[in-house]
This record gives sequence, structure tokens and C-alpha cells, in this order.
Amino acid sequence: MALSAASGSMLRVCARQQLPTTSRAAIASCQQQRGVASSFDSPFGPASKESTYKIPDFSKYQSKKSPRSNQVFSYFMAGTMGLASAVGAKATVQDFLVNMSASADVLAQAKVEVGLGAIPEGKNVIIKWRGKPVFIRHRTQDEIDEANKIDVASLRDPQADEERVQDPKWLVMLGVCTHLGCVPIGEAGDFGGWFCPCHGSHYDISGRIRKGPAPLNLEVPSYSFPDDETMVIG
Amino acid sequence: MAGIAEVIYQTIIRRNAIFLTSIFTGAFAFEIAFDSASNKIWDTINRGRQWKDIKPMYLNKADDEDEDDE
Repeated sequence: MALSAASGSMLRVCARQQLPTTSRAAIASCQQQRGVASSFDSPFGPASKESTYKIPDFSKYQSKKSPRSNQVFSYFMAGTMGLASAVGAKATVQDFLVNMSASADVLAQAKVEVGLGAIPEGKNVIIKWRGKPVFIRHRTQDEIDEANKIDVASLRDPQADEERVQDPKWLVMLGVCTHLGCVPIGEAGDFGGWFCPCHGSHYDISGRIRKGPAPLNLEVPSYSFPDDETMVIG
Repeated sequence: MAGIAEVIYQTIIRRNAIFLTSIFTGAFAFEIAFDSASNKIWDTINRGRQWKDIKPMYLNKADDEDEDDE
């Protein structure tokens, strides 16, 4: 029993001492196995030591300028393209807008020149302007006084006679009733001016609404006197 | 060369606002130059055939005969 115990302990000691040696041997054998693997011959031919990649020579294509000048060139090209497209966009938009506006012949027809010498005092003239009748009256001094005599505040569409004429002798108005667009009759009505036969609106000698359904005075177009004998409407 | 590029970069391109402003200013100037140059070329090719070239002949006649032609 004592012997077996002694041999048992001795075995234990032996095992403890031998363990490092066996592990060292195992590592050594492992290293030996790795060394074997490196001598493997590829079946696809011998592995050469130098690289098989051939890098071409790009120096011919390489820029000789500084990176900054290349950068400036790129930005310049981009900026030039922006410039060209801005000009193109502006021209396109402008062409469309010009296309929509009136052409020169239409603008020329939109003006009417009237010789004033042919209109005697106290007479009406009706001319056509942009498809609408225009009344021109050469007013007498009595009519001018009559137009100025009226209390402006009492009118439906209060407007003094001076606001409606440039030269008090010449009254220029669109001959379209402001009620429903009929053409009033001159020198008629209760107020010595114009009378609309459709619904009975009476306008006075300044073209202001005095009686009847029309809400506003007769409209005054833009006109000018280039010289003493002519008037241009439009 | 590199010095010029550096100056251009620093003054115009470096700040985007300045870059864009100079693009639009350049577009404005380019448009005027392009339009006037192309008009000049057109007038040179069509010299003597346009209304502004022959206008004096007709307007002198119009003064003699009638004055409606305006």
C-alpha cells in the first residue's frame, strides 16, 4: 500500500515534469509541419519570384503643369458652360416673351391720328380706335362753363372736368356705355351730352354719368397733341 | 504659369459667391458683345437691302407726294 502510494506519487511527479516537454515537442512537430507545406509545388507551373504585373509608363500623359493650374482650367471650363447656358436660357425666355408682345404693325395700328382742323366748334366726331368708337367733341366755351359749373360731389362718379380733359376745348372719350357697352348717341339726353338708347343712361357734356343705370363716367383714352392741328389717340 | 493660376484661383474661384457673380457678369457682357457682333455681321452682309438703308429715298418722295406714309 505504501509502495503503491509511493509509485503513485512518483508517477504524478513524473507526469508533471514531463508535461512541458511533451508540449514543447508538439510545438516543434507543428513547426516542422509548416516547413513542409512551403515546399509545395504548384501544378500550374513554377512560381516565379518576380511580379507578373506590368505597369505601363504613363509619364507621357501626365500633366506637366501644377495641380493648381489644372484645377483652374477645370473650373474655368465649368464656369464657361454656366455662362453659355445662362445666356441661352435668357435668350430663350426673352424670345418667348417678345413673341407674346404686340408686333410693330399692331402697335402702329393701335394709334390713330386725327386732324383737328376739320372739326368745327360744337361738333362731334366719331372715329374708330382699336375696334371701338371714340368720341371727339370740339366744345364751345358755353359747354366748358356748363361742365365746370356742376357740383362734383353730387355726381355718381365724382370727377372734375379738368381731370377728364387735357385741353378743355377737346373732349375725347371712348364711345362705350359703361353700363353694358352700347354706343351712346351724341347731342342727346337730358344733360346736353350723350344718351345711351339701350337702357337710358344720360351723360353730360363732360361725358359724366348723370342719370340712368350706368355706374361710371365714359372712359377717357390716353391721347396727346403732337402739334396744334393734330391729335394722336393711343 | 502656376503663379497666374494661383492668383486666379484665389481671387475668383475660391469663394463660390464670387465665382457665380463673375459667371453672371460675364454672361451679361458676353451677350452684349455677341449681339452687337452678330448684328454687325448681318448688316454687313445685307448692306443696301434693309429698310434703314433705303429709308431716305422713300421718305424724300413721301414728302413730295403724300404724308400718309409714316
